[in-house]
Amino acid sequence: MEDLAAFERLVCKNASDFHYMKICLVLEKGRRNVEAAQFKQLMISGLRQLYGEVGAALPFDVLKFDPSTLTGMVRVCNSSLVKLWSAITLIGSYQNELCAFRVTQVSPFLIALSGNSRKLELD
Amino acid sequence: MVRFKSRYLLCEVCVENRSSLLLLEEKSIYLAVKAAVARAHGDYGSALLIVSYAVKYVNAHTGIVLIRCRKSHYRIICSALPFINSLENRGQKVPCFLNCLHVGGTIRTCQKFLVKYSTQQLHRMLPQCKNEAERDEVRSAVLSCSLGKERDVEEDEMEDDWEDE
Repeated sequence: MEDLAAFERLVCKNASDFHYMKICLVLEKGRRNVEAAQFKQLMISGLRQLYGEVGAALPFDVLKFDPSTLTGMVRVCNSSLVKLWSAITLIGSYQNELCAFRVTQVSPFLIALSGNSRKLELD
Repeated sequence: MVRFKSRYLLCEVCVENRSSLLLLEEKSIYLAVKAAVARAHGDYGSALLIVSYAVKYVNAHTGIVLIRCRKSHYRIICSALPFINSLENRGQKVPCFLNCLHVGGTIRTCQKFLVKYSTQQLHRMLPQCKNEAERDEVRSAVLSCSLGKERDVEEDEMEDDWEDE
């Protein structure tokens, strides 16, 4: 009986050091010219507001930014993922204009962001 | 009942001119630490300070300050302390820095440490004396803080330990 109840425990620790986020910036009055640097600057200002100068120094990279859809791909350390996420969630305005960050996808693997099962269209 | 656990940071205020130390106030330290935490750790850090952050004890003569905060986030204060470079005392801005000597769980342990530390400092001062009068003064100070006296002081402060929270 005990043999049957015995089970094997498999623990799979995340091997990746980074998390990748797909983030979309939504502005109140529709789209306008936002550069990748401005996008990153806005995120850093959010971090500085919530976590101070220590937060503003957290390392993260904007890997790709698409100005037409205002969508960016961000790479961030596992340890600062929660801080970055909470800081950008609380950003409310960009150059005196209401705005919001929408986190579309988060994954420890970059390839997972190449597709989105929610928008999958079957032929 | 759950006891709220605190950490007490025993800090030393270092100033250039000893006489400006006498202007030291509880409120100025409270505000300076709060501003430093707000700068270094932002809204999140200053929100953590709302619970249980207090300046418990200020000694204007020796420049010793005792700060209380929650055990869970004393590191937030500890890391912000080096960024304080001036204290505003009664309208005067005094350049200084705070040196964290000890982190204890109760006021009692901090006090024990402080007595030990002060005795040590006296022993260190003795060889640095320039004339005989100074030397005699330090020597008598070293002798006056004997073990018997130390115990008396500790017992006086016993009740401080329990007023926690």
